Amino acid sequence: MLLPMKPTEKDIALLERYFDAELNEEETKYFASRVEQDEDFNALVKREKVIIGAIRNQGLLDNLAYLKSIEEKIEGDHAIPFYANFKTWHYYSAAAVIVLLIAVKFLFPSQQQTSEQLFTSYFKAYPNMFEPTLRGTNEITNRTEAFQAYEHGDYQKASLLFSELLKENREPGMLLLLSNANLMLGQVSEAQKNLVTLIEESDELDIQAKWYLSLSYLKSGDKENARKMLKELGETEISYASKAKELLEKVD
Amino acid sequence: MIEGERIQSEIIQKIRSGGQTELGMIYEEHRKEFLHWITKEYECSSDDGKDIYQLAILIFYDNIKQGKLEHLVSSVKTYLFGIGKNIAKDNRRKEKKFTPINQEKWLKEYLIDEPDQVMDENTFNFAKKALEKLGQPCQRLIELFYYENKSMQEITEAMQYKNPETAKNQKCKCMARLRKLVDQEIEQNPNAVTHEAY
Repeated sequence: MLLPMKPTEKDIALLERYFDAELNEEETKYFASRVEQDEDFNALVKREKVIIGAIRNQGLLDNLAYLKSIEEKIEGDHAIPFYANFKTWHYYSAAAVIVLLIAVKFLFPSQQQTSEQLFTSYFKAYPNMFEPTLRGTNEITNRTEAFQAYEHGDYQKASLLFSELLKENREPGMLLLLSNANLMLGQVSEAQKNLVTLIEESDELDIQAKWYLSLSYLKSGDKENARKMLKELGETEISYASKAKELLEKVD
Repeated sequence: MIEGERIQSEIIQKIRSGGQTELGMIYEEHRKEFLHWITKEYECSSDDGKDIYQLAILIFYDNIKQGKLEHLVSSVKTYLFGIGKNIAKDNRRKEKKFTPINQEKWLKEYLIDEPDQVMDENTFNFAKKALEKLGQPCQRLIELFYYENKSMQEITEAMQYKNPETAKNQKCKCMARLRKLVDQEIEQNPNAVTHEAY
């Protein structure tokens, strides 16, 4: 694939003003003639359209993820909450590790779609257990706003605010929620960076971070690292994890 | 303006100036009725019905944001059911019978169907990778502009910039960085074949 010729700053300005609907009648005519007569400029315009298409596609996918989180919440209201507290989180995550280990082992027909589907089935955003927001709280700070946005499923706002707050103080809980918000928004590489940092820096939330890191690997189709991470999780002390490994070996 | 029209117009205005909160409200408001109708009408599962409903809501939202829908001749409910019906029919026509919808694929095709949109699949995929590498706050800013169709004034308020000029400068810088990242992706994959209008 060939790159378009390096455009001049003037051409880039013209391009941006066209896509931002800022050209006057005369400029619009000039733009149209350039598209018609200048092959390189035409290629540049086409590429910009595709880039904007990709941005819009990302917006649609972010909102789709948001609707799915609402759906999960509605469905969740009729079911036993997945995460009641840290203790039950360990219990459920251990059970999920077993199922996911088996699924990864036996259901991977080496198609990325399948790892994506596994991600969708197993990923549930970690709840805000670190600073539950209370109704009627008068003081609104960036901190309360960040946690509130996360609880309300506004992951874009939460991600922005958490990123800012983490610059001042690196709180493991906040980093875990930020990485979950990243995953909800489809920002897989950012989520992975944050989760790796969390594993390195926190002794309390490293198990949770590893769980979400393994899911993020599935999301990006990196089956090898997903297997590695799940195996490592299976070898931890969390209940049922070792049994999962034992069972897996027996099934093998 | 009669009362019903005034309410519909207010809803559209609220969505146009709003964001995910409004999207969520609309989703919850018609969900139960839509799922009941679509599962009966098209004999699909509840999960398939939810997939169609989510797409219908996204199209409704996008049409408002892009200025394609300014007035409703009917109610929001009728409009949503209409989109849902088209999605289900289209799916049945393509697959001869009802089959689960691949939402991501469907949303990609939805963008290609836009007038004058000629997509090069490889460049599209490179742009998606580049977007991921772009990170925040750039990703959020350009999404607000190109997807949410927010004005520079609205972006200034949402992202706490000093003024609309600063927001605009920042947007230009983000787009320049994104183009550079796309170029890098293309350079790293020199053998990728271009497929126009996929």
